Amino acid sequence: MASEIDPAACQAPRRVWGVMAGQLLRSKTWDGAEHLLYNDLSGDTHLLGADALDLLRLLQAADRDEASLAAALTAAADDGDGDGDTLAPAAVATILADLARLSLVERRAC
Amino acid sequence: MLTVSSLTRAELGERLARPGLRLQTGSFVTCIGSAIPAVADGIALLYAEYPLQDAGGFADFHVSLQGSGGLRRWVRPQVRFDYDGTRPFEPLPVAQAFALFEWSMNYCVSTRVHGYLLLHAAVVERDGVAAILPAPPGSGKSTLCAALVTRGWRLLSDELTMVRLDTGEIQPLPRPVSLKNASIELMRAFAPQAVFSRPVNATAKGTVAHMKAPTGSVRRAQERARPAWIVFPRYVAGAAPHLAPMAPARAFMQVAENAFNYSLLAAAGFKALTRLVDASTCYQFTYSMLDDAIDVFDRLTPP
Repeated sequence: MASEIDPAACQAPRRVWGVMAGQLLRSKTWDGAEHLLYNDLSGDTHLLGADALDLLRLLQAADRDEASLAAALTAAADDGDGDGDTLAPAAVATILADLARLSLVERRAC
Repeated sequence: MLTVSSLTRAELGERLARPGLRLQTGSFVTCIGSAIPAVADGIALLYAEYPLQDAGGFADFHVSLQGSGGLRRWVRPQVRFDYDGTRPFEPLPVAQAFALFEWSMNYCVSTRVHGYLLLHAAVVERDGVAAILPAPPGSGKSTLCAALVTRGWRLLSDELTMVRLDTGEIQPLPRPVSLKNASIELMRAFAPQAVFSRPVNATAKGTVAHMKAPTGSVRRAQERARPAWIVFPRYVAGAAPHLAPMAPARAFMQVAENAFNYSLLAAAGFKALTRLVDASTCYQFTYSMLDDAIDVFDRLTPP
C-alpha cells in the first residue's frame, strides 16, 4: 500500500523517504524496546529497535525527508523534562540506510 | 483397530515386503515397503502399539527401504531410501537400515507437512500444557526429552514440534526418541525399564539408538496440547541447573532459526510464531544432571 506524500515535506527539489510498496509492516513487541517486523518482500523477520519502528510508522503515514523525521521523532520522544531527548538527523540517516538495505524503505523524488 | 503387535513377526515381514505396511504415527499414515529384516525388527520392537491402516487406504507418505542391487547384494550391502520415486539420501550400509527408516520418517514430515508451523524441537506435555525444547544438535535436547517422558511427562515429539496454524495448539507426533553416543548408555542407566533398539555404530551422527515412546503417549497421540513454555536447553558438564528468563523477541528469533518451514509459511509463519511466543514463558536452561533438570521442569508453572 503506497503512503501519501505530506505536501509540507514536499517542496521541490527535495527528496523524501517512503515505505516500499508491498510492505504491510506487521510487527510485534513484548517490551516496547525490541520489535519484530515481518518483511513482506523478503519473507525475513527483523529485530528492530524502537526508533526504527517509530520511523517506519511515521513513513507509513506519509513520506518525509530526514529533517522532518528527526523533528517528529524528537517531538515524540520529548517527555518535557528538558533533558534533550533528541534524535539527530545523522542518526535518522543511519537508520534509514539500514532500513533501505532491508528493502523496507526507499528514497523517492518529491 | 489393528496395531503392529497384532501381527506375528512373520506377518509383519510379509506385509512390509508386499504390499507395504500402512503405519499410523500421530496424524499421518505412512506406507512402508521393505524386505530388510532389520526394518521389520525395529518396527516390531518400537512400534508395537501403533495403529495399522487397511492396505487399500490412504497414505500420506509412501517410502521404501530396499537393499541395493548388483554387487552390493554381496559386497558391503547397502540400503537405499525411496520416497515417491525420489532418492533424497545416499545409500547407507544395511546395518543402518532402521536408523535410516527413522530419519526417513522425519524427512517425510519436515519436507512436506506445511499445514503446520514445524519446529526442530522436542515437545513434552503435562496437565494439558506443553514445554517446547528447540535446540541445535548436541544441546542435549533429545536426552532431556527422553528423561522427561520416563518421569511422567507425555511425549509429543522428540524432533518435530507441529504447531497448528488454526488454533496454535501442538499436534502430537510421538515416535521413538533418537539418542546418540554417550546419551544411549546414560538413558539405559536412567530408565532401565525403557525399551531401546540395538545401537548402530559409525552412522553420520555417530552411534545411534532409539528409545521406544511410552505407551501412554502413543495412545494419546490425537490429544493436542496448549503451549506454555519454550525452553532452550544446553547441557554443560558439571553445571548446576539454571533457568534464566529470556526476552520473548529473542526467543522468537531463535525458534524461527530452528523451524523447518517458517520462511516458507511467510506471513502465516510470523502470525503462528507470534501466537506461540505470546502463549509461552521463555527460558534458557543450563543443566548437567537429568534428575536436577526434571525437578526444574516439574516446578514450572503455566503462564
